[in-house]
This record gives sequence, structure tokens and C-alpha cells, in this order.
Amino acid sequence: MSESVSNPTLRAECEEFLYHAAELLDDRKLTEWHDLVTEDIDYRVPIRTTRERSNTTEFSDTSFHMKEDWGTLEVRTERMQSDFAWSEDPPSRTRRHVSNVRIVDDDGEEVTLKNNLLIFRQQGDETDPDILSMERHDTLRRTDEGFKIAERRVLLDHTIIPTNTLSIIL
Amino acid sequence: MSHGIDESQSTSQTEFGRVKALLERMGETLEDGEVPMQILNDDAVHQLELERIFGQTWVYVGHESEVPEPGDYRQRTIGEDPFIFVRGEDGDFRVLFNSCRHRGANVCRAEKGNTSHFRCPYHGWTYKNTGDLVGVPQKAAGFDHLDAEERGLHEAPHVEEYNGLVFACVAPEVEPLEEFLGGATWFLDMYFDLIDMEVIGDPHRWEVENDWKTPTENFYGDNYHIPMGHKSAIDAGVGSDTATGEKESNLYGIADCDGHGFSFYQIESEEDSYWGHPPEVVETFNHDALDDDQHEVARKSGVTLGTIFPNLSFIFLGGRDDPEKDSVGTFLLRKWEPRGAGKMEVVNWILAPKDASDEYKERVYEVGMSNFSPSGNFEVDDVGIWYGIDEAAGSVFARQNDDVNTLFTMGRGENPAATVYDEWVGPGTAYLEGGMTDENQLDFYRTWHEAMTSDGGM
Repeated sequence: MSESVSNPTLRAECEEFLYHAAELLDDRKLTEWHDLVTEDIDYRVPIRTTRERSNTTEFSDTSFHMKEDWGTLEVRTERMQSDFAWSEDPPSRTRRHVSNVRIVDDDGEEVTLKNNLLIFRQQGDETDPDILSMERHDTLRRTDEGFKIAERRVLLDHTIIPTNTLSIIL
Repeated sequence: MSHGIDESQSTSQTEFGRVKALLERMGETLEDGEVPMQILNDDAVHQLELERIFGQTWVYVGHESEVPEPGDYRQRTIGEDPFIFVRGEDGDFRVLFNSCRHRGANVCRAEKGNTSHFRCPYHGWTYKNTGDLVGVPQKAAGFDHLDAEERGLHEAPHVEEYNGLVFACVAPEVEPLEEFLGGATWFLDMYFDLIDMEVIGDPHRWEVENDWKTPTENFYGDNYHIPMGHKSAIDAGVGSDTATGEKESNLYGIADCDGHGFSFYQIESEEDSYWGHPPEVVETFNHDALDDDQHEVARKSGVTLGTIFPNLSFIFLGGRDDPEKDSVGTFLLRKWEPRGAGKMEVVNWILAPKDASDEYKERVYEVGMSNFSPSGNFEVDDVGIWYGIDEAAGSVFARQNDDVNTLFTMGRGENPAATVYDEWVGPGTAYLEGGMTDENQLDFYRTWHEAMTSDGGM
């Protein structure tokens, strides 16, 4: 681990960025969120399966709920804002709770970190919310415009997705 | 989950009587294109479906490529019942009931893996991957009377495979799989005989607050919903080249095909289509496997979709996940699993031609996932347009009024756009302008109704 890893100022900077990015998604400012990803972003949400304890990983390296680059994220964020995106009209009410931010490494150009994310999601008159729980492994790159997300691995705590659609960004 | 008809004898009788009357009413209005909406969310109907449909007919369990090696297994359900789809050490497929013969606990707890044996954690009874009971702790001391040969894991009595698709039936008697598939084999050959397909990775699984029959009827051929329901994705320039208008096509809806339903978007051009697969991939196909008529339909195919009764649907499409990228041919196989009245689990597999390059298969996966999966640009709006069907179907109002029906009368007026295409070369009846008929979708409810009323002793 480099010296900066235990630097509370760095962690606070990263937290501030993650909170800002979460706020944009909760406020449905999807184009502004898309501006926070690098042009070479690698964004993946691998499928998780129930495996025996002795197995090394529960996450697939070939199958995904999302496997995105800059272009496909642009398609998704534009589509979600269409007047005909029925899955999000009326829109979901989402609240992203970002926590447990842990800096893994900082090479000066990029910071790698882990964080937990709990998403509360409700639509219409539902009273039971859909809860999505996950750990994210992120790589944040320092640019002239501040941090941008260069890589994201979303490790879900679900094998069967407990919500009708993933028409939201994780 | 509620099991209304099992709650007590008197409740059971009342509920049976109610469902019987409902099915009788449905029988009277079905050919007029009216289906009681309440069948889409009704505990007693649901319970009867599990018994009379999922407990009686062939149900898809998995593709051979999901369990390539002896000992490979995947947990699967038939209706709501737990089974293990396993390739035994002898190389044969079996569909074993995931319940110890001793006290009933699951003998398999992982979703997938490879094993020589399944061992029950309760008392340690151990079964080979063929289901044979081979280990009973302290057998001599307590079970010297037990004949292990009689106590292997229960298994589905019928397991058959068609072009790599493995189906099981849990009823004692059933017709051979090919007979059940009937005319559907003509279509399945076009995908699984022409092309050696393999499943990529693990399926998507997600829960949806809709009855399994809603997507099933849709995949019998509801092409009418596409311009409205999927406008957001089409406007974004993703999905199939026929939907975006990149390529012009004729749509054929296939009805009257032994209880199954299909749709074909045909691109009438000298240029080969083969669902958007490029020439180097098309070269790997088994072109001799099809007769000339089938082959010509395959060659012109832009998108094809359909459903094998009761709950196995597919869509094969040439399309893209980004307007800036090349289109590829992606195949999605999906099973709409009942999970209580008005609820389902969707299981979604993405398949690619086995002999294509790894890079191409990766693109096939990406395009499939991007359009049809829990995050799919098309799929999310399918679910998004079905909101509330469960609520309306489960309402007292729907039960109290005989005219709360879903409607399948499209194309029955005096000048319908959809017309029977006399030169159709395959099985069933083909309707040109196939998006403007309901005859293919009505076939689902005809088959469903027949299965639900097949036991006169209700």
C-alpha cells in the first residue's frame, strides 16, 4: 500500500465525488452523470451464482447484468430520459446510500477504492421498496475536470435480481 | 405464496368449483378472442397450472452446453419444484429431484458445479451423480433392511433432448418429445441444427411482478406492441436492424403450429441475412442440415421469435447495442417461471454459434444483454408496459364481472391487414403482416385451456 492510502484527505475527496455521482443519479441527471465517466470506461455488473464455500468466486467472468463502455452508457442514459421509456415513467424514486469507502491504492494518476452501495427503489404506490445491495470496486482517474470513473465492478449481493427492471444505473 | 385450494377441504371444494366455472366461461368466449383477465393472478388457477401444465407436459430444463462434462450440474425448476439438471458419470442427462430420500432436505445447495456425489448434510446420505444411493452412515447398525437400489434420488421419469435442448416431464405418461414439439421442430432446426449453439456463462435471473403467461403470450407473437412499447430503444438506434428501420422486412406470424407460436421478420433481398451474422460466421453453419425451403427462410431472417408451450421463449435478432457499432446475431432463450399467482422469475440465457471467434461471441453476449436482460434496453420497457396487469387481474372487480377479459380479436374485421400467406413453406398457418393478427397468440390460450381442462375428474 502506498503512503497515501491511509490519507484521510484523499478518502474525503473520493467520498465527496461518490456522493456527488450518487446525487446526480438520484436526481435523474443522467447526462451529467455520464460526463463523470472516462471515454475508456469499463463498467461491469457480473452475474452472481450460489456456489459451494470451497469455490473461489461466485461471480461470472463471462456473463453480466451490465457490461458497458462509454458509448453503451450514452445509449442507456439517453434512452432512460426518453418520453417513451415506460419502465421509468413515472420514474423510480431512488436513494443511493454510499458507505464504507476504502482506498485500495493510489498511483498518482488513478485511485482504486471499494465502497458499499445500498439503493432504495420505489415506484408508483408501492409501499414495499426494492432494496439492492452491492459492493463497488472503482477506479477514479484524476483529470483536468476532477475525478472521473475509469473502471467500475459492481458486485451484487443478489443471485436473483429482486426488482422488476434494472432501468437504473448502479 | 398461497395455496388456496389446499387450505381446507371445504375451501378446496369452493375454489375448485369457482375455477371450474371460470374455465367453462373461458371455453365459451375463447374463440371470440376473449380471455378472462383474472387467470393472470389467481391463487387457485396458479395451483392448478402447476399440477395440470407443469406437472403434465414437457418443460425445458437446460441446454447441453451448460453441463458439458460428466458430473456438471445446474439447479433448475419445473414449475416451482426443485430439480438438478446433471450429466452423470455415464454421460447421460438426468433431472433429479433435489430432496433426500431419507428426510427430504436438499442434497444439492449450489446453483451449479461439478460433483461425483450429492451428499445430504442432515444425516449424510450420499448419492452418485446418477442419483444412485451409495452411502448411508451406520447402515449396518440401523438400516440393514434398506435396499439402496430402491432409494436413489427421485427423478423426472422422462428426459429427452432435441438438438441440444433438454426437456423433462414429471408425469408418468407423456408423448415423445418430438411429437409434443410437432411443427416447432421445423423452426428449432433452423436455429439449433443449422447452427451449433452454446450457452455463454450463467443465465440472468430476476423477479417480476407479472404472471408467467403475460410474457408467454407476448412471445407467441405480439409484434403489435413494438412501435409503442419499444420506442425509446428504437429511437436510441439499438436493437434489431428491422425494428430500427435499417432494413426493410416482411413479418409473418405463424399460428396453428401444434400449440406453439412463432414470428419471422424476413428481409427480402439477395443479400444474406442469417440474423445479422457476418459471412465468416455463416460459413461455420451446417447448411446441409436444412431443406431448401427452411434454408431460404433462415437466409432471409432478420428477427425471429417464438414460444414452445408452456414457458420457453426465444428471440433471435440481428442488431446492435450502440448505433456506432456493427450489428451481430444474438440468440436469447428465456423461461418464464411461475412463482406464485401474478409473479414470475425470468431466466435468460444468451447463446452464440460455438464455432465463431471468441471476440465475436463476446459481442453476441454484449448485444444480447444490452437489449434483453434485466437491464436490457428493450426488456425493461416490456416489463414497464405490463405494470398493473397483476393488480387488475387479481381484483374483486375482475372476479365479479364476466366481461373483464383480455382481447385477442385483432385482424378479424372485414378488411384485415393480416392475411393468410398461401405460399408458406413451413408448418402451421402463416399470416403476412403478422403483427396485425392475434391468431398466433390465441393459440397459447387454446393450448393452456385444453391442458387446464384435460382432467374430467376435477
